[in-house]
Amino acid sequence: MPDEILIASGIRRSFGKKMVLNDLDLQLNKGDIYVLFGSNGVGKTTLVKILATLIHSDKGDITHFGMNGEDDIKDIRRKIGFMSHEPYLYRDLTASENLDLFADLYSIPDKEKRIEEMLKMVELYHRSYDRVGSFSRGMKQRLALARTLLHSPDMVFLDEPYSGLDLNAQAMLNRVIKKMNEEGVTFFLITHDLEKGLEIATRKGILAKGKIVEKPEASSQDFITQYKEILETRGGAKGGIQN
Amino acid sequence: MKPEAALKGGSKISATKAIFIKELKIEFRNKQMINSMLILALMVLASFRFIFSFIDFSETELAAPILWVTFFFSGMFALAPIYQREVEQGTKECLTLAPISASTIFFGKFFSSFLVIMGLNLFSMVLFFVFFSQPFPDMISLITIIVLGTIGFVALGNLISAISANISQSQVMLPVLLIPILLFTVVMTSVEATYQIFDGQTLADLADGIKLILAFDIIFVASGYLLIDYLMEE
Repeated sequence: MPDEILIASGIRRSFGKKMVLNDLDLQLNKGDIYVLFGSNGVGKTTLVKILATLIHSDKGDITHFGMNGEDDIKDIRRKIGFMSHEPYLYRDLTASENLDLFADLYSIPDKEKRIEEMLKMVELYHRSYDRVGSFSRGMKQRLALARTLLHSPDMVFLDEPYSGLDLNAQAMLNRVIKKMNEEGVTFFLITHDLEKGLEIATRKGILAKGKIVEKPEASSQDFITQYKEILETRGGAKGGIQN
Repeated sequence: MKPEAALKGGSKISATKAIFIKELKIEFRNKQMINSMLILALMVLASFRFIFSFIDFSETELAAPILWVTFFFSGMFALAPIYQREVEQGTKECLTLAPISASTIFFGKFFSSFLVIMGLNLFSMVLFFVFFSQPFPDMISLITIIVLGTIGFVALGNLISAISANISQSQVMLPVLLIPILLFTVVMTSVEATYQIFDGQTLADLADGIKLILAFDIIFVASGYLLIDYLMEE
Protein backbone atom coordinates (compact mmCIF):
# COMPACT_ATOMS: atom_id res chain seq x y z
CA MET A 1 0.00 0.00 0.00
CA PRO A 2 1.39 3.41 -0.90
CA ASP A 3 2.16 5.86 1.87
CA GLU A 4 -0.33 8.32 0.41
CA ILE A 5 -3.61 6.64 1.14
CA LEU A 6 -5.75 9.56 0.05
CA ILE A 7 -4.97 12.13 -2.61
CA ALA A 8 -7.54 14.81 -3.37
CA SER A 9 -6.82 17.42 -5.98
CA GLY A 10 -8.78 20.36 -7.34
CA ILE A 11 -11.89 19.61 -5.28
CA ARG A 12 -14.71 22.05 -5.92
CA ARG A 13 -18.17 22.08 -4.46
CA SER A 14 -20.85 24.75 -4.60
CA PHE A 15 -24.33 25.07 -3.18
CA GLY A 16 -26.20 27.42 -5.47
CA LYS A 17 -24.00 30.48 -5.87
CA LYS A 18 -22.01 29.74 -2.75
CA MET A 19 -18.74 27.95 -3.43
CA VAL A 20 -17.64 26.18 -0.25
CA LEU A 21 -14.66 24.25 -1.62
CA ASN A 22 -12.50 25.91 -4.24
CA ASP A 23 -9.77 23.83 -5.94
CA LEU A 24 -8.90 22.20 -2.65
CA ASP A 25 -5.92 19.84 -2.49
CA LEU A 26 -5.22 17.34 0.28
CA GLN A 27 -2.99 14.37 0.81
CA LEU A 28 -3.29 11.92 3.69
CA ASN A 29 -0.45 9.57 4.52
CA LYS A 30 -0.74 6.25 6.31
CA GLY A 31 -0.61 6.82 10.05
CA ASP A 32 -1.66 10.47 9.98
CA ILE A 33 -4.00 11.97 12.50
CA TYR A 34 -4.95 14.95 10.39
CA VAL A 35 -7.04 17.50 12.25
CA LEU A 36 -8.77 20.15 10.17
CA PHE A 37 -10.09 23.19 11.95
CA GLY A 38 -12.53 25.77 10.71
CA SER A 39 -15.44 27.84 11.89
CA ASN A 40 -19.09 26.86 11.43
CA GLY A 41 -20.41 26.86 7.88
CA VAL A 42 -16.99 26.94 6.25
CA GLY A 43 -17.48 23.60 4.45
CA LYS A 44 -15.81 21.12 6.81
CA THR A 45 -18.69 18.65 6.80
CA THR A 46 -19.05 18.93 3.02
CA LEU A 47 -15.36 18.14 2.63
CA VAL A 48 -15.39 15.16 4.97
CA LYS A 49 -18.47 13.73 3.25
CA ILE A 50 -16.80 14.08 -0.15
CA LEU A 51 -13.67 12.37 1.15
CA ALA A 52 -15.75 9.60 2.73
CA THR A 53 -17.51 8.97 -0.65
CA LEU A 54 -20.87 10.06 0.71
CA ILE A 55 -21.37 12.98 -1.64
CA HIS A 56 -19.79 13.97 -4.94
CA SER A 57 -17.66 16.97 -5.63
CA ASP A 58 -18.54 19.19 -8.60
CA LYS A 59 -14.99 18.92 -9.87
CA GLY A 60 -11.70 17.31 -8.89
CA ASP A 61 -10.18 13.89 -8.39
CA ILE A 62 -9.88 11.73 -5.30
CA THR A 63 -7.83 8.58 -4.98
CA HIS A 64 -8.29 6.31 -1.96
CA PHE A 65 -5.69 3.58 -1.38
CA GLY A 66 -4.60 3.95 -4.99
CA MET A 67 -8.14 3.26 -6.18
CA ASN A 68 -10.24 5.68 -8.10
CA GLY A 69 -13.68 5.76 -9.63
CA GLU A 70 -17.10 4.24 -9.21
CA ASP A 71 -15.92 0.70 -9.96
CA ASP A 72 -13.83 0.65 -6.80
CA ILE A 73 -16.37 2.31 -4.55
CA LYS A 74 -17.23 -0.84 -2.56
CA ASP A 75 -13.56 -1.71 -2.06
CA ILE A 76 -12.90 1.83 -0.88
CA ARG A 77 -15.87 1.80 1.47
CA ARG A 78 -14.74 -1.47 3.05
CA LYS A 79 -11.60 0.30 4.15
CA ILE A 80 -13.07 3.49 5.55
CA GLY A 81 -15.13 4.44 8.56
CA PHE A 82 -17.18 7.58 8.99
CA MET A 83 -18.67 9.12 12.09
CA SER A 84 -20.78 12.23 11.90
CA HIS A 85 -21.57 14.76 14.62
CA GLU A 86 -25.00 13.12 14.70
CA PRO A 87 -24.88 9.52 15.99
CA TYR A 88 -26.95 8.00 13.14
CA LEU A 89 -28.19 4.97 15.07
CA TYR A 90 -31.46 3.03 15.12
CA ARG A 91 -33.15 4.21 18.30
CA ASP A 92 -35.56 1.26 18.36
CA LEU A 93 -32.70 -1.26 18.37
CA THR A 94 -30.44 -2.04 21.31
CA ALA A 95 -26.75 -1.08 21.33
CA SER A 96 -25.83 -4.66 20.57
CA GLU A 97 -28.39 -4.96 17.75
CA ASN A 98 -27.12 -1.77 16.11
CA LEU A 99 -23.61 -3.22 15.97
CA ASP A 100 -24.91 -6.65 14.99
CA LEU A 101 -26.59 -5.20 11.90
CA PHE A 102 -23.40 -3.58 10.68
CA ALA A 103 -21.35 -6.65 11.61
CA ASP A 104 -23.59 -8.58 9.19
CA LEU A 105 -23.37 -5.92 6.48
CA TYR A 106 -19.55 -5.99 6.72
CA SER A 107 -19.46 -9.82 7.16
CA ILE A 108 -17.35 -9.58 10.28
CA PRO A 109 -16.28 -13.04 11.47
CA ASP A 110 -16.80 -14.00 15.10
CA LYS A 111 -19.06 -10.98 15.36
CA GLU A 112 -20.24 -11.58 18.93
CA LYS A 113 -16.68 -11.33 20.21
CA ARG A 114 -15.96 -8.23 18.12
CA ILE A 115 -19.19 -6.53 19.26
CA GLU A 116 -18.35 -7.27 22.90
CA GLU A 117 -14.84 -5.89 22.37
CA MET A 118 -16.16 -2.67 20.83
CA LEU A 119 -18.83 -2.15 23.47
CA LYS A 120 -16.21 -2.59 26.19
CA MET A 121 -13.91 -0.15 24.40
CA VAL A 122 -16.54 2.61 24.45
CA GLU A 123 -17.60 1.65 27.97
CA LEU A 124 -21.15 0.66 27.00
CA TYR A 125 -20.96 -3.08 27.55
CA HIS A 126 -23.24 -2.83 30.60
CA ARG A 127 -25.90 -1.22 28.36
CA SER A 128 -25.62 -3.76 25.51
CA TYR A 129 -29.26 -4.78 25.65
CA ASP A 130 -30.80 -1.35 26.22
CA ARG A 131 -32.49 0.46 23.38
CA VAL A 132 -30.52 3.35 21.94
CA GLY A 133 -33.56 5.61 22.33
CA SER A 134 -32.92 5.57 26.09
CA PHE A 135 -29.26 6.67 25.72
CA SER A 136 -27.90 10.15 26.40
CA ARG A 137 -26.32 12.03 23.51
CA GLY A 138 -22.83 11.22 24.76
CA MET A 139 -23.62 7.51 24.96
CA LYS A 140 -25.01 7.57 21.43
CA GLN A 141 -21.82 9.23 20.19
CA ARG A 142 -19.72 6.55 21.88
CA LEU A 143 -21.83 3.82 20.32
CA ALA A 144 -21.49 5.55 16.94
CA LEU A 145 -17.73 5.41 17.41
CA ALA A 146 -17.95 1.68 18.12
CA ARG A 147 -19.97 1.19 14.93
CA THR A 148 -17.46 3.26 12.95
CA LEU A 149 -14.51 1.14 14.12
CA LEU A 150 -16.36 -2.20 14.12
CA HIS A 151 -15.04 -3.37 10.74
CA SER A 152 -11.46 -2.26 11.52
CA PRO A 153 -11.21 0.43 8.84
CA ASP A 154 -7.80 1.60 7.59
CA MET A 155 -8.93 5.21 7.39
CA VAL A 156 -11.47 6.90 9.62
CA PHE A 157 -13.26 10.20 9.04
CA LEU A 158 -14.64 11.93 12.10
CA ASP A 159 -16.92 14.94 11.78
CA GLU A 160 -16.98 17.00 15.00
CA PRO A 161 -16.52 13.89 17.15
CA TYR A 162 -16.28 15.80 20.44
CA SER A 163 -19.74 17.26 19.97
CA GLY A 164 -22.04 16.14 22.78
CA LEU A 165 -19.33 14.32 24.71
CA ASP A 166 -18.48 15.16 28.31
CA LEU A 167 -14.84 15.60 29.36
CA ASN A 168 -14.37 11.94 30.27
CA ALA A 169 -15.82 10.78 26.99
CA GLN A 170 -13.67 13.28 25.06
CA ALA A 171 -10.58 11.92 26.79
CA MET A 172 -11.73 8.36 26.05
CA LEU A 173 -12.20 9.27 22.38
CA ASN A 174 -8.68 10.66 22.15
CA ARG A 175 -7.31 7.52 23.85
CA VAL A 176 -9.12 5.34 21.32
CA ILE A 177 -7.86 7.43 18.39
CA LYS A 178 -4.27 7.22 19.65
CA LYS A 179 -4.52 3.47 20.26
CA MET A 180 -6.00 2.78 16.83
CA ASN A 181 -3.44 5.08 15.23
CA GLU A 182 -0.63 3.07 16.83
CA GLU A 183 -2.17 0.03 15.13
CA GLY A 184 -1.87 1.80 11.78
CA VAL A 185 -5.25 3.45 11.34
CA THR A 186 -5.25 6.86 9.68
CA PHE A 187 -7.61 9.52 10.99
CA PHE A 188 -9.02 12.62 9.35
CA LEU A 189 -10.86 14.64 11.91
CA ILE A 190 -12.66 17.95 11.62
CA THR A 191 -13.46 20.05 14.63
CA HIS A 192 -13.60 23.57 15.94
CA ASP A 193 -12.38 22.41 19.36
CA LEU A 194 -8.79 23.62 19.15
CA GLU A 195 -7.64 22.21 22.47
CA LYS A 196 -8.89 18.66 21.92
CA GLY A 197 -7.90 18.60 18.27
CA LEU A 198 -4.37 19.82 18.82
CA GLU A 199 -3.91 17.27 21.60
CA ILE A 200 -3.91 14.39 19.13
CA ALA A 201 -3.02 15.97 15.76
CA THR A 202 0.07 14.77 13.94
CA ARG A 203 -0.88 17.11 11.08
CA LYS A 204 -3.12 20.11 11.26
CA GLY A 205 -4.74 22.49 8.84
CA ILE A 206 -7.33 25.21 8.65
CA LEU A 207 -10.19 25.36 6.16
CA ALA A 208 -10.94 28.90 5.08
CA LYS A 209 -12.24 30.40 1.84
CA GLY A 210 -12.62 26.96 0.31
CA LYS A 211 -8.98 25.92 0.71
CA ILE A 212 -6.84 24.22 3.32
CA VAL A 213 -4.02 26.19 4.88
CA GLU A 214 -1.59 23.72 6.43
CA LYS A 215 0.68 24.72 9.30
CA PRO A 216 3.03 21.78 9.78
CA GLU A 217 5.72 23.56 11.76
CA ALA A 218 3.57 25.70 14.03
CA SER A 219 3.49 25.01 17.76
CA SER A 220 0.07 24.75 19.34
CA GLN A 221 0.19 28.32 20.62
CA ASP A 222 1.40 29.70 17.28
CA PHE A 223 -1.25 27.64 15.49
CA ILE A 224 -4.01 29.11 17.64
CA THR A 225 -2.76 32.63 16.90
CA GLN A 226 -2.50 31.90 13.18
CA TYR A 227 -5.93 30.26 13.19
CA LYS A 228 -7.49 33.43 14.56
CA GLU A 229 -5.59 35.55 12.03
CA ILE A 230 -6.69 33.37 9.12
CA LEU A 231 -10.29 33.52 10.18
CA GLU A 232 -10.10 37.31 10.30
CA THR A 233 -8.09 37.93 7.11
CA ARG A 234 -9.54 35.22 4.86
CA GLY A 235 -13.12 35.52 6.01
CA GLY A 236 -13.25 31.90 7.09
CA ALA A 237 -15.80 32.65 9.72
CA LYS A 238 -18.19 33.89 7.04
CA GLY A 239 -18.24 30.53 5.34
CA GLY A 240 -17.91 30.11 1.60
CA ILE A 241 -17.25 32.37 -1.33
CA GLN A 242 -20.04 34.09 -3.16
CA ASN A 243 -19.74 33.66 -6.90
CA MET B 1 -6.36 -8.15 14.10
CA LYS B 2 -8.29 -7.06 11.04
CA PRO B 3 -11.34 -9.22 10.34
CA GLU B 4 -10.50 -10.80 7.00
CA ALA B 5 -14.07 -11.14 5.85
CA ALA B 6 -14.63 -7.43 6.32
CA LEU B 7 -12.41 -6.96 3.28
CA LYS B 8 -14.51 -9.32 1.24
CA GLY B 9 -17.78 -7.57 2.03
CA GLY B 10 -21.11 -9.05 2.93
CA SER B 11 -22.82 -11.67 0.87
CA LYS B 12 -26.06 -10.46 -0.65
CA ILE B 13 -28.23 -12.99 1.12
CA SER B 14 -26.86 -12.39 4.60
CA ALA B 15 -27.00 -8.60 4.08
CA THR B 16 -30.60 -8.82 2.83
CA LYS B 17 -31.47 -11.01 5.82
CA ALA B 18 -29.83 -8.52 8.20
CA ILE B 19 -31.85 -5.62 6.75
CA PHE B 20 -35.02 -7.75 6.78
CA ILE B 21 -34.61 -8.63 10.48
CA LYS B 22 -33.70 -5.04 11.36
CA GLU B 23 -36.82 -3.71 9.63
CA LEU B 24 -39.10 -6.22 11.37
CA LYS B 25 -37.58 -5.50 14.79
CA ILE B 26 -38.04 -1.76 14.31
CA GLU B 27 -41.57 -2.19 12.98
CA PHE B 28 -42.75 -4.44 15.80
CA ARG B 29 -41.16 -2.17 18.40
CA ASN B 30 -42.40 1.23 17.28
CA LYS B 31 -45.48 -0.14 15.45
CA GLN B 32 -45.47 2.92 13.19
CA MET B 33 -46.64 0.99 10.11
CA ILE B 34 -48.84 -1.50 11.91
CA ASN B 35 -50.79 1.07 13.90
CA SER B 36 -51.40 3.41 10.97
CA MET B 37 -52.55 0.51 8.77
CA LEU B 38 -54.85 -1.00 11.37
CA ILE B 39 -56.53 2.31 12.17
CA LEU B 40 -56.93 3.28 8.51
CA ALA B 41 -58.27 -0.14 7.52
CA LEU B 42 -60.79 -0.01 10.32
CA MET B 43 -61.85 3.55 9.47
CA VAL B 44 -62.21 2.87 5.74
CA LEU B 45 -64.25 -0.30 6.24
CA ALA B 46 -66.41 1.31 8.93
CA SER B 47 -67.02 4.32 6.64
CA PHE B 48 -68.13 2.08 3.76
CA ARG B 49 -70.37 0.09 6.07
CA PHE B 50 -71.94 3.31 7.38
CA ILE B 51 -72.43 4.83 3.91
CA PHE B 52 -73.89 1.70 2.38
CA SER B 53 -76.31 1.16 5.25
CA PHE B 54 -78.44 3.98 3.78
CA ILE B 55 -78.65 2.81 0.19
CA ASP B 56 -79.48 -0.33 -1.70
CA PHE B 57 -76.49 -1.91 -3.35
CA SER B 58 -75.16 -5.24 -4.47
CA GLU B 59 -72.53 -6.24 -1.93
CA THR B 60 -71.09 -8.78 -4.31
CA GLU B 61 -70.41 -6.12 -6.95
CA LEU B 62 -68.86 -3.70 -4.51
CA ALA B 63 -66.89 -6.20 -2.45
CA ALA B 64 -63.78 -6.06 -4.64
CA PRO B 65 -63.48 -2.24 -4.82
CA ILE B 66 -64.15 -1.91 -1.07
CA LEU B 67 -61.46 -4.47 -0.27
CA TRP B 68 -58.84 -2.91 -2.54
CA VAL B 69 -59.59 0.68 -1.52
CA THR B 70 -59.01 -0.48 2.06
CA PHE B 71 -55.73 -2.22 1.18
CA PHE B 72 -54.65 0.69 -0.99
CA PHE B 73 -55.15 3.54 1.47
CA SER B 74 -54.02 1.74 4.59
CA GLY B 75 -50.98 0.28 2.82
CA MET B 76 -49.99 3.55 1.18
CA PHE B 77 -49.58 5.39 4.46
CA ALA B 78 -47.76 2.43 5.94
CA LEU B 79 -45.14 2.55 3.18
CA ALA B 80 -44.21 6.21 3.66
CA PRO B 81 -41.85 5.79 6.65
CA ILE B 82 -39.84 2.89 5.22
CA TYR B 83 -37.10 5.07 3.70
CA GLN B 84 -38.11 8.32 5.38
CA ARG B 85 -36.98 7.07 8.80
CA GLU B 86 -33.53 6.21 7.40
CA VAL B 87 -33.21 9.81 6.21
CA GLU B 88 -34.55 11.28 9.45
CA GLN B 89 -32.27 9.19 11.66
CA GLY B 90 -29.31 9.69 9.33
CA THR B 91 -28.85 5.93 9.08
CA LYS B 92 -29.16 6.14 5.29
CA GLU B 93 -25.58 7.43 5.21
CA CYS B 94 -24.34 4.45 7.23
CA LEU B 95 -26.16 2.01 4.95
CA THR B 96 -24.78 3.81 1.89
CA LEU B 97 -21.25 3.47 3.24
CA ALA B 98 -21.57 -0.26 3.94
CA PRO B 99 -19.91 -2.41 1.24
CA ILE B 100 -23.16 -3.90 0.07
CA SER B 101 -25.25 -3.50 -3.03
CA ALA B 102 -28.15 -1.08 -2.56
CA SER B 103 -30.40 -3.80 -3.97
CA THR B 104 -29.89 -5.77 -0.74
CA ILE B 105 -31.37 -2.81 1.13
CA PHE B 106 -34.29 -2.73 -1.31
CA PHE B 107 -35.00 -6.44 -0.99
CA GLY B 108 -34.56 -6.47 2.80
CA LYS B 109 -37.10 -3.67 3.11
CA PHE B 110 -39.34 -5.15 0.41
CA PHE B 111 -39.62 -8.57 2.10
CA SER B 112 -40.20 -7.13 5.57
CA SER B 113 -42.83 -4.62 4.45
CA PHE B 114 -44.50 -7.30 2.31
CA LEU B 115 -44.77 -9.56 5.34
CA VAL B 116 -46.26 -6.84 7.52
CA ILE B 117 -48.62 -5.43 4.88
CA MET B 118 -49.74 -8.88 3.75
CA GLY B 119 -50.53 -9.83 7.34
CA LEU B 120 -52.49 -6.65 7.80
CA ASN B 121 -54.29 -7.08 4.46
CA LEU B 122 -55.43 -10.52 5.57
CA PHE B 123 -56.63 -8.99 8.83
CA SER B 124 -58.50 -6.31 6.83
CA MET B 125 -60.05 -9.08 4.74
CA VAL B 126 -61.36 -10.74 7.91
CA LEU B 127 -62.70 -7.36 9.07
CA PHE B 128 -64.42 -6.98 5.71
CA PHE B 129 -66.32 -10.22 6.18
CA VAL B 130 -67.27 -9.10 9.69
CA PHE B 131 -68.56 -5.71 8.49
CA PHE B 132 -70.27 -6.97 5.33
CA SER B 133 -72.48 -10.04 5.33
CA GLN B 134 -70.85 -11.43 2.25
CA PRO B 135 -70.92 -15.12 1.30
CA PHE B 136 -67.40 -16.54 1.32
CA PRO B 137 -65.94 -16.91 -2.17
CA ASP B 138 -63.19 -19.40 -3.07
CA MET B 139 -60.77 -18.30 -0.33
CA ILE B 140 -57.63 -19.81 -1.91
CA SER B 141 -58.28 -17.85 -5.10
CA LEU B 142 -59.02 -14.67 -3.16
CA ILE B 143 -55.87 -14.92 -1.03
CA THR B 144 -53.76 -15.71 -4.11
CA ILE B 145 -54.96 -12.51 -5.80
CA ILE B 146 -54.35 -10.50 -2.62
CA VAL B 147 -50.80 -11.91 -2.36
CA LEU B 148 -50.02 -11.15 -6.02
CA GLY B 149 -51.52 -7.65 -5.83
CA THR B 150 -49.69 -6.91 -2.59
CA ILE B 151 -46.32 -7.89 -4.14
CA GLY B 152 -46.68 -5.24 -6.85
CA PHE B 153 -48.11 -2.72 -4.41
CA VAL B 154 -45.26 -3.15 -1.92
CA ALA B 155 -42.54 -3.21 -4.60
CA LEU B 156 -43.71 0.04 -6.18
CA GLY B 157 -44.44 1.51 -2.75
CA ASN B 158 -40.86 0.82 -1.62
CA LEU B 159 -39.48 2.37 -4.78
CA ILE B 160 -41.62 5.50 -4.48
CA SER B 161 -40.85 5.68 -0.75
CA ALA B 162 -37.12 5.72 -1.60
CA ILE B 163 -37.68 8.46 -4.20
CA SER B 164 -39.87 10.63 -1.99
CA ALA B 165 -37.67 10.23 1.12
CA ASN B 166 -35.19 12.67 -0.38
CA ILE B 167 -37.85 15.22 -1.25
CA SER B 168 -39.20 17.81 1.16
CA GLN B 169 -42.79 17.06 2.25
CA SER B 170 -42.26 13.42 1.40
CA GLN B 171 -45.47 12.41 3.18
CA VAL B 172 -47.39 14.37 0.55
CA MET B 173 -45.21 13.34 -2.36
CA LEU B 174 -45.58 9.60 -1.79
CA PRO B 175 -49.33 9.43 -2.51
CA VAL B 176 -48.99 11.95 -5.36
CA LEU B 177 -46.43 9.72 -7.07
CA LEU B 178 -47.90 6.39 -6.02
CA ILE B 179 -51.64 6.75 -6.65
CA PRO B 180 -51.65 7.33 -10.43
CA ILE B 181 -49.26 4.47 -11.16
CA LEU B 182 -50.80 1.96 -8.79
CA LEU B 183 -54.43 2.67 -9.66
CA PHE B 184 -53.95 2.00 -13.35
CA THR B 185 -51.79 -1.08 -12.89
CA VAL B 186 -51.90 -3.40 -9.90
CA VAL B 187 -55.05 -2.06 -8.23
CA MET B 188 -57.15 -2.03 -11.41
CA THR B 189 -56.19 -5.57 -12.42
CA SER B 190 -56.49 -6.89 -8.86
CA VAL B 191 -59.96 -5.36 -8.42
CA GLU B 192 -61.10 -6.99 -11.63
CA ALA B 193 -59.73 -10.38 -10.61
CA THR B 194 -61.19 -10.08 -7.10
CA TYR B 195 -64.58 -9.14 -8.55
CA GLN B 196 -64.58 -12.27 -10.67
CA ILE B 197 -63.73 -14.39 -7.62
CA PHE B 198 -66.65 -12.91 -5.69
CA ASP B 199 -68.73 -13.66 -8.79
CA GLY B 200 -67.99 -17.35 -8.38
CA GLN B 201 -65.00 -17.84 -10.68
CA THR B 202 -61.79 -19.63 -9.69
CA LEU B 203 -58.09 -19.11 -10.39
CA ALA B 204 -58.29 -21.33 -13.47
CA ASP B 205 -60.78 -18.87 -15.00
CA LEU B 206 -58.54 -15.90 -14.27
CA ALA B 207 -55.36 -16.91 -16.06
CA ASP B 208 -55.13 -13.69 -18.11
CA GLY B 209 -55.75 -11.44 -15.14
CA ILE B 210 -53.17 -13.27 -13.06
CA LYS B 211 -50.59 -13.01 -15.86
CA LEU B 212 -51.18 -9.26 -16.00
CA ILE B 213 -50.77 -8.81 -12.23
CA LEU B 214 -47.64 -10.97 -12.35
CA ALA B 215 -46.25 -8.83 -15.17
CA PHE B 216 -46.77 -5.67 -13.08
CA ASP B 217 -45.14 -7.41 -10.09
CA ILE B 218 -42.08 -8.28 -12.14
CA ILE B 219 -41.83 -4.78 -13.64
CA PHE B 220 -42.06 -3.07 -10.23
CA VAL B 221 -39.63 -5.42 -8.48
CA ALA B 222 -37.17 -5.10 -11.37
CA SER B 223 -37.52 -1.29 -11.34
CA GLY B 224 -36.72 -1.23 -7.64
CA TYR B 225 -33.70 -3.48 -8.16
CA LEU B 226 -32.38 -1.35 -11.02
CA LEU B 227 -33.06 2.11 -9.60
CA ILE B 228 -32.25 1.76 -5.92
CA ASP B 229 -28.51 2.27 -6.47
CA TYR B 230 -29.15 5.78 -7.79
CA LEU B 231 -31.65 6.56 -5.07
CA MET B 232 -29.39 5.57 -2.20
CA GLU B 233 -26.48 7.67 -3.45
CA GLU B 234 -26.51 11.45 -3.31
